[in-house]
Amino acid sequence: MSIDGQSATGPDQSARPTAGATGLRRAVVVGGNRIPFARAGGAYAKSSNQDMLTAALDGLIARFGLQDERLGEVAAGAVLKHSRDFNLTREAVLGSALSAETPAYDLQQACATGLETVVGLSNKIKLGQIDSAIAGGVDSASDAPVVVSEGLREVILDLNRAKTLPQRLQILSRLRPKDLAPLAPGTAEPRTGLSMGEHQALTTAQWKVSREAQDELALNSHRNLAAAYEAGFFDDLITPYRGLSRDGNMRADTSAEKLASLKPVFGRNLGADATMTAGNSTPLTDGASTVLLASDEWADARDLPKLASVVDAEAAAVDFVHGKDGLLMAPVFAVPRLLARHNLTLADIDYFEIHEAFAATVLSTLAAWEDEEFGRTRLGLDGALGKVDRSRLNVNGSSLAAGHPFAATGGRIVASLAKLLHAKGSTDGRPARGLVSVCAAGGLGVVAILESV
Amino acid sequence: MAAQPLILGEMPSLSKLYINAAAQAARRRLLGTGDSSQLPEESHEVRGVSVDVENLTAYQHLLGETASDVLPAGFIHALAFPLAMSVMNRDDFPLPLLGMIHLGNRVEQRVPLLFTEALDITARVENLRGHRSGTQVDVVAEVRRSGSNAVCWLGVSTYLAKGIFLPGIDKPTAHHGKPEFRAPDPTALWQLGVDAGRAYAAVSGDFNPIHLSVLSAKALGMRRSIAHGMYLASRALADVGPARSDSFTWEVVFEAPVFLPARVALDITTGQDGTGSWHRSDFVAWNPRSGRRHFTGSVAALEGVAAGNTKEGEAGPTDTALTGLVQEERV
Repeated sequence: MSIDGQSATGPDQSARPTAGATGLRRAVVVGGNRIPFARAGGAYAKSSNQDMLTAALDGLIARFGLQDERLGEVAAGAVLKHSRDFNLTREAVLGSALSAETPAYDLQQACATGLETVVGLSNKIKLGQIDSAIAGGVDSASDAPVVVSEGLREVILDLNRAKTLPQRLQILSRLRPKDLAPLAPGTAEPRTGLSMGEHQALTTAQWKVSREAQDELALNSHRNLAAAYEAGFFDDLITPYRGLSRDGNMRADTSAEKLASLKPVFGRNLGADATMTAGNSTPLTDGASTVLLASDEWADARDLPKLASVVDAEAAAVDFVHGKDGLLMAPVFAVPRLLARHNLTLADIDYFEIHEAFAATVLSTLAAWEDEEFGRTRLGLDGALGKVDRSRLNVNGSSLAAGHPFAATGGRIVASLAKLLHAKGSTDGRPARGLVSVCAAGGLGVVAILESV
Repeated sequence: MAAQPLILGEMPSLSKLYINAAAQAARRRLLGTGDSSQLPEESHEVRGVSVDVENLTAYQHLLGETASDVLPAGFIHALAFPLAMSVMNRDDFPLPLLGMIHLGNRVEQRVPLLFTEALDITARVENLRGHRSGTQVDVVAEVRRSGSNAVCWLGVSTYLAKGIFLPGIDKPTAHHGKPEFRAPDPTALWQLGVDAGRAYAAVSGDFNPIHLSVLSAKALGMRRSIAHGMYLASRALADVGPARSDSFTWEVVFEAPVFLPARVALDITTGQDGTGSWHRSDFVAWNPRSGRRHFTGSVAALEGVAAGNTKEGEAGPTDTALTGLVQEERV
């Protein structure tokens, strides 16, 4: 926070710590914990969302000595969720070493779930409603809910209401063989029927993102993640679970050649323009993550570290249904609004954490920000928003390498970024600054700014 | 206890043990029991036992335990159970294994064990003594991390051979009159389906026919199948929840069997120490219709016991199950 000689760069707003809403106290990230992410059907194939969330929670509790503590609140969620898990987070709290008097709630905002729990709980801390909180998320593609068909569901409900045997028989006679086939969850958008990958393929083609650029981003993700593991970066961010101590999807030894050899899996109707492969798209993954948030006073009283403060956040949505914008492009609009609120530009950000739903999602986002016309006509700026310094992007790897258990990604990113910012400390006489950007189904996006403490 | 252990190459198969026990019962019926009142001194040991993680997860889900990497105390009991059975299945074991009644169980979970650790398991029998309706014996199982001497988990299971009276084994002087049981308000109600025995058999490996189905239970003289005692005790342990922390003692005394299907009422009373932190939980379960008590027990903080500094054997937990029968006091 020292504003010393370096800050004499002029009246530039960006050289000062970013102000939160006036009169509010800070919410800081104390630390985080997650379990390694596993490929679907892998080490966590038999583990439920509740199992994984509890495991991540218990690791966090052990790391920061929170046994029997009554925290202000715990919020988490899952995207693929069984109806019996209506109180998933509370049940995980009850199964954890936290005081059973810790309240909890579930939140669900597709892939932005994890980040949104951080934002919501930070706001409660800033408002003084709570002093401490755990944000988190979990998802299992292995233990996904399978639902019965509409036909069978209606028959079961009507049978429950029937009073006489003839009524029951009449209702049962409505059943058709096709009603008995179970339905597995898909990633198709309800309004378009297109999978997320097919949606991104349209955006990828629109922004003319090359196969080579996508593969290069994927390669960097694996290399950066592997290097971070080697450097011990995740030693205090991960607790082993079910025999896994590193992300199961990580391929430290992958190469540009290997990635280039993969066949396109999305947008194949584009023919030669199809560029999205299993290598530059995130795989289905299982995992959970948690983040400990607190007021300065709460953290100080327990002598706990303070890594970064959650400065501000912005949600956005795009009208993707008829193709005005790409499904995963909402952060493109959220980021300029958030930066403007703090008089910042992309050049004022030291670390970018742009969730790699697909390599092409990140690259389409960067392309839109670099586009003069898009900046003027769609973002309401004088020109392009600007260029992201690629050396500051996803420096410890992201979802392409780590995997993406939907609701767990936000917590993974926030904990890693907070640690990174804390290590950086201050730069140019101001706290180091990080930007998180997460796209989500339904044309949603949530972005946030964190600052080193 | 000076005898060298008999080291088995692998965990014995429970189903073979059950078949052997039936054969042994037939043989003894024909030839008469040997009049030995001596327990075999040799203990049995299996080294480097590993846990199947899928089985662990299934166990945790069935019992309502948090699916962590730490082995639940009841899971370790199930892991050691075939070895315990193998000691009771020896030809020089003086009581008939088939039809023995599990009176009570006491476990000291001294150090948490992870599923990733290879375990050395030993089992022995001791403390042959009288009971008003037969003869009882303790089976002591110990679990260590492979290659280490420190006992991390200690279990004492007390069994009764009903109607068997061995020469030189005294009956206890008198039948302590049990005070009338008055059911408290339940804190939980379990609905156990007719398949509860099969479900526990699948995760514990204990396919004793008296637990599996009405038919198989009838074949052994029961009117219906009954729930495994350790299933009930382990669910109570799970219900106590994470407050119990990593090291604790866990005791249960079984009374009326739970015939399946069943509704079981449970009351868990939590005791706190001076600082307000968890000290112990006492539980009692009963049939909500008849008011008959099924079992009582407790989970209590294990204080001052670090791995390895407790002398094994003579620590005297062996009497607890018996005295537990007449203990009604609550903390």
